[in-house]
Amino acid sequence: MTANFSSPDEDVISRKLDVNSGRNVSKDLLEKFYEIQDCIEWIQKHDYKKIALQMPDELMKDSVPIADKIQSQIEGKVFILGDTSYGSCCVDEVTAEHYNSDCIIHYGHSCLSPTRRIPVKFVFGQSLVDVPDLVSKVKDTFTDKDKLIVLLYDTCYNHAIDAIATELKQHFHNFIVSELSFQSGNGDSNNSCINNSLNDLSKEKSFCKCNRSFKLPLNHSLDSAMMLYIGQENLTLTNLIMTLNKCCFYTYNPLNFELRKESSNVNRMLMKRFYMVEKAKDANIVGIVVGTLGVADYLKVIERLKSLIKQAGKKSYTFVVGKLNVPKLANFLEVDVYVLVACPENTLLDSSEFYKPVVSVYEMEMACNRSRQWTGDYHTDFRDILPDGSDYVPIQDSDMEGTTDVSLITGKLRTIGHVTQPEVTSTSIVPRNEAMAVTTLKAENAEEFFSSRSWKGLEQKLGQTEVSDAVEGKKGIAAGYSNEQN
Amino acid sequence: MVNFTIDQIREIMDRKNNIRNMSVIAHVDHGKSTLTDSLVSKAGIIASSRAGETRFTDTRKDEQERCITIKSTAISLYYELKKSDLQYITQQKDPENRNDFLINLIDSPGHVDFSSEVTAALRVTDGALVVVDCVSGVCVQTETVLRQAIGERIKPVLFMNKMDLALLTLQIEAEPLYQTFQRIIENINVIIATYDIEGNPMGDLAVDPKKGTVGFGAGLHGWAFTLKDFAAMYTKKFGIAEDKLMKRLWGDNFYNNKEKKWDKEPSSGDRGFVKFCLSPIFQVFDTCMKKPKEEAIALAEKMGVKLTAEEKDNQEKGLLKIVMRKWLPAGDALLQMIVIHLPSPVTAQKYRCEMLYEGPQDDPCATAIKTCDPQGELMMYISKMVPTSDKGRFFAFGRVFAGTVKTGIKCRIMGPNFTPGKKEDLYEKNIQRTILMMGRYTEPIEDVPCGNICGLVGVDQYLIKTGTLSTYKEAHNFRTMKFSVSPVVRVAVECKNPSDLPKLVEGLKRLAKSDPMVQCIIEETGEHIIAGAGELHLEICLKDLEEDHACIPLKKSDPVVSYRETVSEESSLTCLSKSPNKHNRLFMRAAPLPEGCAEAIDNGDIAPRQEIKERGRYMADKFDFDVGEARKIWCFGPEGTGPNLLMDVTKGVQYLNEIKDSAIAGFQWATKEGVLCEENVRGVRYNIHDVTLHADAIHRGGGQIIPTTRRVLYACQLTAKPRIMEPVFLVEIQCPEQAVGGIYSCLNKRRGQVFDNQQIGNTPQFIVKSYLPVNESFGFTGDLRSSTGGQAFPQCVFDHWAVMPGDPFDSTSKPGEVVTVTRKRKGMKEGIPALDNYLDKM
Repeated sequence: MTANFSSPDEDVISRKLDVNSGRNVSKDLLEKFYEIQDCIEWIQKHDYKKIALQMPDELMKDSVPIADKIQSQIEGKVFILGDTSYGSCCVDEVTAEHYNSDCIIHYGHSCLSPTRRIPVKFVFGQSLVDVPDLVSKVKDTFTDKDKLIVLLYDTCYNHAIDAIATELKQHFHNFIVSELSFQSGNGDSNNSCINNSLNDLSKEKSFCKCNRSFKLPLNHSLDSAMMLYIGQENLTLTNLIMTLNKCCFYTYNPLNFELRKESSNVNRMLMKRFYMVEKAKDANIVGIVVGTLGVADYLKVIERLKSLIKQAGKKSYTFVVGKLNVPKLANFLEVDVYVLVACPENTLLDSSEFYKPVVSVYEMEMACNRSRQWTGDYHTDFRDILPDGSDYVPIQDSDMEGTTDVSLITGKLRTIGHVTQPEVTSTSIVPRNEAMAVTTLKAENAEEFFSSRSWKGLEQKLGQTEVSDAVEGKKGIAAGYSNEQN
Repeated sequence: MVNFTIDQIREIMDRKNNIRNMSVIAHVDHGKSTLTDSLVSKAGIIASSRAGETRFTDTRKDEQERCITIKSTAISLYYELKKSDLQYITQQKDPENRNDFLINLIDSPGHVDFSSEVTAALRVTDGALVVVDCVSGVCVQTETVLRQAIGERIKPVLFMNKMDLALLTLQIEAEPLYQTFQRIIENINVIIATYDIEGNPMGDLAVDPKKGTVGFGAGLHGWAFTLKDFAAMYTKKFGIAEDKLMKRLWGDNFYNNKEKKWDKEPSSGDRGFVKFCLSPIFQVFDTCMKKPKEEAIALAEKMGVKLTAEEKDNQEKGLLKIVMRKWLPAGDALLQMIVIHLPSPVTAQKYRCEMLYEGPQDDPCATAIKTCDPQGELMMYISKMVPTSDKGRFFAFGRVFAGTVKTGIKCRIMGPNFTPGKKEDLYEKNIQRTILMMGRYTEPIEDVPCGNICGLVGVDQYLIKTGTLSTYKEAHNFRTMKFSVSPVVRVAVECKNPSDLPKLVEGLKRLAKSDPMVQCIIEETGEHIIAGAGELHLEICLKDLEEDHACIPLKKSDPVVSYRETVSEESSLTCLSKSPNKHNRLFMRAAPLPEGCAEAIDNGDIAPRQEIKERGRYMADKFDFDVGEARKIWCFGPEGTGPNLLMDVTKGVQYLNEIKDSAIAGFQWATKEGVLCEENVRGVRYNIHDVTLHADAIHRGGGQIIPTTRRVLYACQLTAKPRIMEPVFLVEIQCPEQAVGGIYSCLNKRRGQVFDNQQIGNTPQFIVKSYLPVNESFGFTGDLRSSTGGQAFPQCVFDHWAVMPGDPFDSTSKPGEVVTVTRKRKGMKEGIPALDNYLDKM
């Protein structure tokens, strides 16, 4: 019977995924590429019993040999986590907890978001980079030896950074190397992220952007620094460019040995995000979409969002839908805008295909927190706007009367904050055309929306449908009826 | 100038029969502002406290520099009619027979780009002084504004301006001048007759010198007359009553000097108008300009014009001006005409109420409007926003139609989207201050009774551009104004520094408020767009934005236009799309709407809120729709009102109503962002042919249906020979004959199509009418000027959307280029997506 209502289970098993497999790691290099010896030592040192291995889809093919290798040398039990709930760059604590794991080893590209529950070991994979080529190209491009250059890189080049840094530091006087910073549960932590704090002794200012930390001499400002990024175009780069949007970016792509200036117009990107802020201001009903269950403080941020949204006179609903897609979010017609709580790299979502826009936490905060001013800065990491974050702005008292202004998107008036609504009475009869009651008015909550819908439940249509003999209809489901050929 | 205290002004405001609200309207450069100036200098009311300050009508610096009016300005005038002339007022008179009048005059811009200001001015006035340059005659914009006035039920009177030019520069003789006047009056009356409705409650609208509804004169020199003025001079001489004599002074009435008799035969003597009105004027001109000064002064004295010693020092033209001004003062002639012939609020609101008020015509609001009752419920229409010296704040400028607006009262502020019984666009606030607006000055006033025009402080943030204010809980809106121009020319502005974005947005909001027509939009690409009626309009808006509203340096793009997507044939196949879970299927087809149907939707002849059967009948009769289908329109789109239809042509589909909301949502989406380049869709009907849905409701929710509807609509559009539409201007160019050739070549270069080319009467002037794509119109004025030696000036008004010939899929064709450029600007993938992205197989 159930088969009549849903597609067969085998479909899920046999579904094909599109994975751009990228590079193949040969068997001999496995050990080195995946730092297997390191992992084993780490496990043994902490005496973990249940070890979860988290792999992104494109590395999944190597998962079995890795697991075998590790298993052969330790006492505990090794698992491979199948499918990640959210982005593969995030540590999937929830899935790991299903198996009561003691620790997770996260393979591949990572957004380095801190986690809280389970110790994590990151294995970035060691991608090849032609250091001499890189060094000579950088030297050719930058002639000013006093230029302040900050080196940033994709996680998979972490292993080669020391070599690059030594070479380049000899040539440039102000060459700063960033370090990846991550912290995880009670496990090992690389340097933790401290922002803008002044270190009296060293006369340096330290910065932490997108989980990359670096120290600048006091006499230099961050905006004047030039960023050199090693890696391909990916979310990390977008994320860095957005966050450090006043800096000039150069990228070196180790795959095609190309060093170029990033010309992508940051202003354009910021304008687009500003549009999102306006869109968020227009909304009456906001859907908070939980796009992570691993990043630390995600609960705090959801709470903050809820109170912000409420104070702005809007209504919020919280959604947990796993991986986002268009149909899932289009199910809730009444929601005007979604705000996505996710790790920094998945925060900037291109929502043009979505029925309703998906904005970031920072954008929602910008729209609702009236003490916050747009300065051109952008934060992809939601922890920046929490108390103790680098850009925390407290929420104003809620007693303030709302402000009314014109939305440049809809051309209509909108209100931020609570306003006393005038009494609405009408005794005059206004013809209301039932069939044409198109919902162009925005509802203020789901109940109001429902009452304005044209369809409100099953229609009996008693006496309106002609009585006729039963005829045999189609069999099967709309995905493929039995009388149809594939 | 008349000095009054606020209390004195307030006192006249109560005499509602002695109020005249009027606008001055005309073609550009026909002399409205100059004429207004001469009226203001004679009768302008200034509060005593302001007396002695600098010029009154100066409002904007750029207006003076360019010699063009940009914003309409309201000025109050005071006039005492001769007691003996009160008898000529045929409408309801002041019970105490008072002869002092308050005239609220609005001077409006003449350039077509600012005609939205004219619309706003007309709304708050009851009468219009139509100014026509007697040399160039009735022009394009004269017709446009006159048509609007009649549509709004505004009574016109005519003023024939620039007689000085005709006499001094062109040296036109008396009889030809009479013929010119006669022809202009005929032209005006033809226009009036064209747009007049049968049984117009305003009565006969035709202008007629014999009735005294036509004035003649020269605004620049400050003199004017109506036939009544001359009739009054001659009434004793002939022993004929003024009104009878007026009839002799126009038309084919000839005076036989020998027999001292009036005759209809031209041979019997001189035409009354020429002999008794024009000849004396010609004589004054002649004497002042050509004869010795003494003779001129003697003549002046003979006419009863007393000159001071200082004035006698003037030469020729200067002397002429003074003599004429003293002899036939423009203020008296015009104000008298205005007071006698234009309606008071009491008269006008009776017949204007049904045009203005959307609610039932017997509710307390309508009753109070009709009777102009200051004790009734407050009904006020805000027609525009005037920037204050306080940055970002505005006066709400409008007309009190009923009740009295007082400082401090609480009233309901209803925007154009308000519907009775709903909360949308409705606010309840106190009026902080009521003010009188006199030119650029404002004076606080305690309250203002109905029939008057005033400004309010403290309601600006609850209104976008216009709105209705009332104290009555069940009040409906005043009808929104219909503009004769559309914002089709766009520029994108960008701030140099992204941290200035909030300033830019704030500036755009202020700009949007301060202009009745301009649209400021943030697009999905993050671009900030300003859309205006024409290049000049945009230029002024950009200047205001940069200097007054945003106060930051801006980058501006070149002007661009927005396009529309449409289809040219019915879909070649019934398109099928399956939902993401493959359990639901939608079968649809697209087809172009019949010609004229999209326009009918734009005009509101076919509208979402109409009664279904009535609309169905109308569509069947007018556009050959199948009556049954026409009754099954699911929705208009985009925005629920746009010129596309979603129609249900299915037969007996299960659960169909259940997906209606979702399908409509998808339809709104797909018509707002078409498949070619995400521009609005126009003139397409989408037919739902069949739908198969999963039996379980959870599998046919919005998430499954909305994206699928969008996909199937895109497939429909792609299979129905999609086309791109562009906006087209109607260009009217007035020029001398020798310039016509230059105009043709200039239009040809720009894809313009001339469809009319006519001589105006017997003048050497020609009028060329043509269609010109808006996209090709940038720089057209300058180009035209250079190719015709500065003799031709175009008037461009948005007229219609036209399909661009050519296939948008062919990237070398014009529409193909448009698609490529637009997609690039919006940061979309190159090339129109292939059909198989949207079309599914069985």
